[in-house]
Amino acid sequence: MLTSPLFLQIVLFPGLTSIAIIGALLGWLERKVTARVQLRIGPLYASPAGGILQMFADLIKLAFKELIVPENSDAFFFIMAPTTGLVLGAALVGLIPFAPGLQIANIEVGLPAFLAIITLSPTLILLAGWSANSKFPFIGGLRALFQQTAYEIPLWLSALGVIMMAGTMNLAQIVAAQSTGWFIIPQALGAFIFLVTSVAEMERLPFDLPEAESEIMMGWQAEYPGVLFLAAQGPGFVKLYAFSALFTTIFLGGFLGPSFLPPLFWMLSKTLTVIVLIMLLRSTFPRVRLDQLLRAGWTTLLTLAIINIGITYILVVGLPTL
Amino acid sequence: MTDLLFLAFAAVAIGAAILAIEARDLVYGAAALGIAFLGVAGLFFLLDAAYVGWFQIAVYIGAVVVLILFTVMLVGPKMGETPLGLKRVSLLAAILVSLLLGMTGALANATAFPGQDSCGSGCDLALFSTSLLKNYGVQLEFMSLVMAAAVIGALALSKTDRGQ
Amino acid sequence: MVAQGIPEIGAYIAFLFVSTVALVIVLRLFITPKDPRPTPEKKKPFESGQIAAGPGRTRFIIQYYPYLLMFVVYDVVAMFLFAWGLNLRALGASGSVPVLVFIVVLLIPLGYALHLANHRENW
Repeated sequence: MLTSPLFLQIVLFPGLTSIAIIGALLGWLERKVTARVQLRIGPLYASPAGGILQMFADLIKLAFKELIVPENSDAFFFIMAPTTGLVLGAALVGLIPFAPGLQIANIEVGLPAFLAIITLSPTLILLAGWSANSKFPFIGGLRALFQQTAYEIPLWLSALGVIMMAGTMNLAQIVAAQSTGWFIIPQALGAFIFLVTSVAEMERLPFDLPEAESEIMMGWQAEYPGVLFLAAQGPGFVKLYAFSALFTTIFLGGFLGPSFLPPLFWMLSKTLTVIVLIMLLRSTFPRVRLDQLLRAGWTTLLTLAIINIGITYILVVGLPTL
Repeated sequence: MTDLLFLAFAAVAIGAAILAIEARDLVYGAAALGIAFLGVAGLFFLLDAAYVGWFQIAVYIGAVVVLILFTVMLVGPKMGETPLGLKRVSLLAAILVSLLLGMTGALANATAFPGQDSCGSGCDLALFSTSLLKNYGVQLEFMSLVMAAAVIGALALSKTDRGQ
Repeated sequence: MVAQGIPEIGAYIAFLFVSTVALVIVLRLFITPKDPRPTPEKKKPFESGQIAAGPGRTRFIIQYYPYLLMFVVYDVVAMFLFAWGLNLRALGASGSVPVLVFIVVLLIPLGYALHLANHRENW
């Protein structure tokens, strides 16, 4: 049992160990990319190779910090909410096919399952923000709730476009269906909507209002000390990894590529490209205000998503003959 | 194995539902309701309805519980206030729930769920989709009317004239 | 073999490293040493140096409540649309008529919401 392939996959790759290491490396990458855009150098000292062990150093530092649970706060949700967030992040990565056969959970309804797990995230953030019994975390939690629920419907609908084209909800089969052409070309509008809404779901700039660093001091994560801060920030990077991998799977052809290099290489390089693109957005756009954000999500993006469904319908079924 | 899983999910659903009713702090009650929905989703998975199970998670836990939590957090009793007196209501709820469980048990024995799925190994999503649209098209339209009415009603109720 | 080209022993070392870190984090949560300097200010909510006054869970941003209700309804709509989209090639145009009517009926409240959102004084 200990050496069965599934167990190794869950524990090593693409499972828990690789998620933890990649999450930490993405933290370093984000700092480097942001620094280079701002003409700085970024983390430099933590190792011989450009500060690559920076996040691990941070982890050790955070492990030694004192855990202060604020008074009058709800300790149960304060601790459980971010911990459950970590579990959800790991569950997301488990659904994605990294190579033919390298998929922890090859379920028939893979795409809705991924999106359903993401739908649980506003609940957790709301509980985390509420449990600290402090004004700024609570405002951050509420903002996160409204932001994520506003952008989830366009996310579902842009994924619907892919399902209409592929005729299946199984992620491995969606990758196989792209062997004649990546879906990003007929679904250009859908891919754009998916990218924008997933950046909003991850609470990254320009949608970073719940964590607004200069406004409400890290929002719902403000009261989290030490190791729990890691548990609150960690899911952000894991979600970045998971969403980029899903974008690659459903729009960029997943692990498909010329056969002189292994499929895993194609999958990871495409995912890395998407991740760097999303990180570049952080340094490029200003933060969106809450009512602008909600209006943009519910009106503009939702309308575009419905138009995308119409376009996909015409592409698949043909113009209706009346 | 299936029986054990069924008992586990059913126990989670019922236990969490009892917790949801009995909890003194409403936020704990709402969170317990979320766990109860998770138990129900597990039952859907056992019935080979994975699609419905995942959407149960997405819609109920992801949307309905969030709505309840939001309402409770903003409108419910604040920290330090006494929670609502729930003693008599919970007795009534206990009687009603035991009646419901008894009736369900009697019905289950009477009709005897089929030992195998009615679609056997051909339970695939394409069949589900086709039958939904061909056989239940009218019901789908009624549902759309109900949902549209719900949204319009909510929007109209929340409109406030700020007098500008 | 876990993945092509990664020797197993290297993978196990990585696993041991990460599991040690995870164990440290979990134990840290349980074995919290006694507070050497228990000052009351440590436990107060953080407000950038100001003394926090007033309850921590006051009532904010209620006016966006309709957005949450719309989310619940359109999440259910997404469920039906996924069931339809899956079988689009087999259903064709004639089989999609119920769903197209479904979508059109549910676009009406969306249009109403757009209309309300443009009149900012109400929201």
